[in-house]
Amino acid sequence: MVELVNASIPWLVFGVPFIGALLIPLVSKAGDQIRNYVAVAITFISAAFALMMIPLALAGETLHNQVPWIPSLGITAGVLADPLSVLMANVVAWISLAIMVYSLGYMKGDPNLTRYWFFMIFFIGSMQLIVLSDNFLQLFFGWEGVGLASYALIGFWNKDKESDYVGTVGHKAWGIPTAFSPSHAGMKAFVMTRVGDVSFLIGIFVLYFFAGTFDFTLLAQEHGWAVDLARSGLLIPVAVLIFGGAIGKSAQFPLQEWLPDAMAGPTSVSALIHAATMVNAGVFLVARIGPLFATAVQAVNMIAPFFETIAWIGVFTAFLAASQAMVAKEVKKVLAYSTVSQIGFMMLALGVAGLSANFLSGFIAGFFHFTSHAIFKAALFMGAGALIHATHTKYMSEMGGLRKEMRFTFIAMTIAAGSLAGIPLLSGFWSKDAILASILDVSSFGLAMPLFALATITAVMTAFYSARMIGMIFFGKKSQHLEEMEKEGKHVHEASRLMWLPYMALAGVTVLLGFTGPFFEGFLDFSFASHLEQAFGMVVIEAPFSINLVALAASLGALAVGGFFGYSFYISRRYDPGKILGSSGFLKSIHTFLENRWYINSIYYIIFVNGTLRVATFLHKRVEIAILNKINSSVTDSTQYFSSISGKFDMYIVDGVVTGIASISLVLSKLLRKIQTGITEQYVFAFSIGIIFLVILMSILLL
Amino acid sequence: MVFLIQAVFVPIILAPVVYLLGRRIGARAGWFAFAVLLYSTILLLVTSTFGGEYLETYPWEPIGVFGLRVDGLSLPFAAIILILSTSLAIYSIPYMQHKIEEDLHASKSSSQAGTKSTPESDLEFINRKSGLYYSLFMIYAAGMLGTVLATNLIQFYIFFELMLIPSFFLIAEFGYGDRYKISLMYFLWTHVGAVSLLAGILTIGWYSGTFDYAGIAESTIPASIRVWIAVAISAGLFVKLAAVGLHVWLPHAHAEAPTPISALLSPAMIGIGGYAFIRIMIFLVPSSYSTVVLAITIWGVITMIYGGLMAFAQDDLKRLLAYSSVSQMGYIIFGLGSFYYLGVSGSVFHYVSHGTGKALLFMSAGAIILQTGGIRNISKLGGLGSKLPITAIAAMIGFLAIIGVPPMNGFQSEWMIFAGSFASALQTESMGRMIISGVALAATPLTAGYALLTMKRIFFGKLPDNLKDIHDPSLYITLPLIFLAALTVILGIYPALVTERLVPLIQSAFGGIS
Repeated sequence: MVELVNASIPWLVFGVPFIGALLIPLVSKAGDQIRNYVAVAITFISAAFALMMIPLALAGETLHNQVPWIPSLGITAGVLADPLSVLMANVVAWISLAIMVYSLGYMKGDPNLTRYWFFMIFFIGSMQLIVLSDNFLQLFFGWEGVGLASYALIGFWNKDKESDYVGTVGHKAWGIPTAFSPSHAGMKAFVMTRVGDVSFLIGIFVLYFFAGTFDFTLLAQEHGWAVDLARSGLLIPVAVLIFGGAIGKSAQFPLQEWLPDAMAGPTSVSALIHAATMVNAGVFLVARIGPLFATAVQAVNMIAPFFETIAWIGVFTAFLAASQAMVAKEVKKVLAYSTVSQIGFMMLALGVAGLSANFLSGFIAGFFHFTSHAIFKAALFMGAGALIHATHTKYMSEMGGLRKEMRFTFIAMTIAAGSLAGIPLLSGFWSKDAILASILDVSSFGLAMPLFALATITAVMTAFYSARMIGMIFFGKKSQHLEEMEKEGKHVHEASRLMWLPYMALAGVTVLLGFTGPFFEGFLDFSFASHLEQAFGMVVIEAPFSINLVALAASLGALAVGGFFGYSFYISRRYDPGKILGSSGFLKSIHTFLENRWYINSIYYIIFVNGTLRVATFLHKRVEIAILNKINSSVTDSTQYFSSISGKFDMYIVDGVVTGIASISLVLSKLLRKIQTGITEQYVFAFSIGIIFLVILMSILLL
Repeated sequence: MVFLIQAVFVPIILAPVVYLLGRRIGARAGWFAFAVLLYSTILLLVTSTFGGEYLETYPWEPIGVFGLRVDGLSLPFAAIILILSTSLAIYSIPYMQHKIEEDLHASKSSSQAGTKSTPESDLEFINRKSGLYYSLFMIYAAGMLGTVLATNLIQFYIFFELMLIPSFFLIAEFGYGDRYKISLMYFLWTHVGAVSLLAGILTIGWYSGTFDYAGIAESTIPASIRVWIAVAISAGLFVKLAAVGLHVWLPHAHAEAPTPISALLSPAMIGIGGYAFIRIMIFLVPSSYSTVVLAITIWGVITMIYGGLMAFAQDDLKRLLAYSSVSQMGYIIFGLGSFYYLGVSGSVFHYVSHGTGKALLFMSAGAIILQTGGIRNISKLGGLGSKLPITAIAAMIGFLAIIGVPPMNGFQSEWMIFAGSFASALQTESMGRMIISGVALAATPLTAGYALLTMKRIFFGKLPDNLKDIHDPSLYITLPLIFLAALTVILGIYPALVTERLVPLIQSAFGGIS
């Protein structure tokens, strides 16, 4: 009995949100206030169930429960609560809860809140389904569930008012507009991640053929599939194809372009997408399959290209997105690029895990960074939402000097941004340091160096844009926009308590995790070590916490350099970045290049969107209408023409056209002309009578 | 036991009754049609609980045995046919009432200048037409049902024609636009296909000495003839399945048919081509099947992509959905060509998914046409999501089903199709098939593209000023929508309802081939 109860807990972690989401439309009949609280309560119950799984992770144990699903194919549904999924589920659950509470304030008064709550809860449930699934097929349900929820929520303000657009309206890069309506952005997110899903699906279909199962535990136990795959040269392709799904969901290069535009959704949605769900799904997937592939073949070298791919894509994306974050104008866009960049860091860590002698260090670094990022990024987004509410603008240049008016927001966002930049004794410092250190563990020096260098440069840029963001918003003089608002009698003021409490709390956790960073890392070390040993038979070296001096120096150096420029441009405002930019044509063109997102977005639109539409129009005009319809039409016309010639003669011609068969066609061509006279039904009536006659005849024959 | 014979023939026998009833009570005769079809549905579901295979036979000399069979293959088809036609009987009540009234006004205004005055009153006209509609509707449904339950090639062919004739009249009498010409076009094309099919069937029967499925042995057919049989039957059925090149009739017919009939034509009827392909080609003449699989696979992929691209270029909502059906038939054809039990099972399942999904879409389109006073141009719509929430949700679920997004049933069927085609490629170590499968899967975002773009253009963005006062249609329309939407989700979450009897049957058939 106790076991049954225990086994049902992971099911409830996602079952409660799914059923709860369905209840929301019903509850909404009882009143808006009740509906809102029920929505938060559902999230809380789910989080409480997630918390009940924590003892499993503390003990390093695994709970695996299965039920039949498609028996004829031997496919089962199940939950797998191992330390990885339990810890992940808790981060997701509790951050989601904070965001849901924040939503009570942020979304107050929106007329479509039923839809909002439904998809928010569905979003959380889908994410938990990904985390707790024990097989690829069921995971894919959650995978597409988050895609669906993000589509609905990014496009939440689907009236597409100009004020809800993301990007600068009217601005074009290579003829492609850079501003998108919410419903367009939602669609873009869905279709683009779908491209990644295609890759993911090909990967698991091939895997399924070789393994005959989607089940993670079976795949981990029996490695025959990997041997067969390797023999046919498909092991690396399959692994990389599955990783393609993560590239799409986690907005990694080359599928990163949807995420910046996803900012068209409500800020609370952005917080959920960036901190707790969606983009982290890809990280989780890599954490799920990484050990699987790392241990599947005895010779580690065989799988190394897979992990190299992950590491390179991660580090390049980190660099690419950080460079764009440095010039972004909208506060949410800075955060969006920053997420892409930080997820790149996590991917990098998970990639180097498979390239070093000790899988554990990179694995832990990746997960640690996921946790700290989830917390501070949620705080940043919620703070940004409060700012946008208070100032009625998304642009940082229209804010400025807000540190007195919005004191709590200032404190929380500064702590969170500090953590992002990697200021010592904040959570982000430890996790970033762990990643840099794990790169240095990579066996091949020639590979470690470029990765390390790129990661360090990215860290410099991170420190810079973090300082820039805080500086532009909270320091300096008030912008013209704010002064005009004051004149109109609209004073900027702090957000309501319901809003600032959640992000203050998360800022507090960031500090707490900062002070206890090494202990948390030690806990992860123990928990994951036993997990990797038990589930995958992996030989892991549990390393007590230590500081890698090279990594530390790089991390602090990056903070100092990036922080210095950021500080002097935007906080102390000793130098004017605008002037420096204006003085050099070279810098200016780099600025434009970054602002236009390296033109990658434009290229995609030109090739894929416009290209598809052009081909479609061309085929429609030149083939479908010009050729096929003409043939079709002429056949029909000529038939009609012939059949209109009076007399019996036409029947034979029609008959000939209709390839000269049986009497049915004869009768019909006659009937067709009678249609116009409006007495068809009499024929039909006669026809039916005839059928009945046949039936009677048949039953006589029978009896 | 006389369950299935009743399921098929009761609607046919009662068709004249519905007609007479319609003349008295008009559109409300739809309730009677609903009751009759519901009775058939219940009979079918009863037989499905018997487990395994259920067969009713009646002697039918000299042709053979008149059999009606429910097994893992025919059950999904029969169930979808009956579920859709039963739901649509209700849906038709307000829709066709409106449509017939519209036609009445149109004919009045056109005959004002004319010389002839109709002797019958408006009410008589409406009632007569309603009766006609429902009697044809019931024969049509029964014809489709008979096709999939048949156990004899001749019997199959008779029902195959029986579903063609009423649908022809339904388009000609109740359609939109240039309906006479389009109905003729529809009839000619599908009939030419049927003739080709007949040629194949007769050849099989000639050599086997019997038309009963049970008695046919491929070994009696000379090898040189087999490939011709395969070509004749495939070509015949591919007209029905609207494979590229043979699809030109479909966009016209499905766009201009009255909307409830579009919702039957598009998902329920054309997919029967897929059923016949499995029943005849794969089960009866498997080695003929194996000679054409690669061609079929390629044809399927081209159909998928071509149909999807055409859907992008449409502004007429119903025509867009019609092209989407062409594309979806491409998925089914592709699965049929996979030469692997998983892919073929996926095709059958996709018939079910497309059945619920596309019916939802056509019914939503009908709801829009009804509520906006006949607007079909997507460019004249917009922002309807807040005005027609139930319609919007139903259309969304329909689109998600055909895109293949879990938890809709479309995902279950599509993964089976694609997993099957990849498995087939790996099994035969065919690089070509591997690439084709990759291309096919890579083309699926195309579906997502046109589907979501259509959602955006209809339901999101700015609401046109002339549509400020519209609202969701009555329960007659929304209840069938909600029912089908629920079914779509349930089958997606619990696919075992379809797969458990289907997969072993297909698997055993393939056991025979290799």
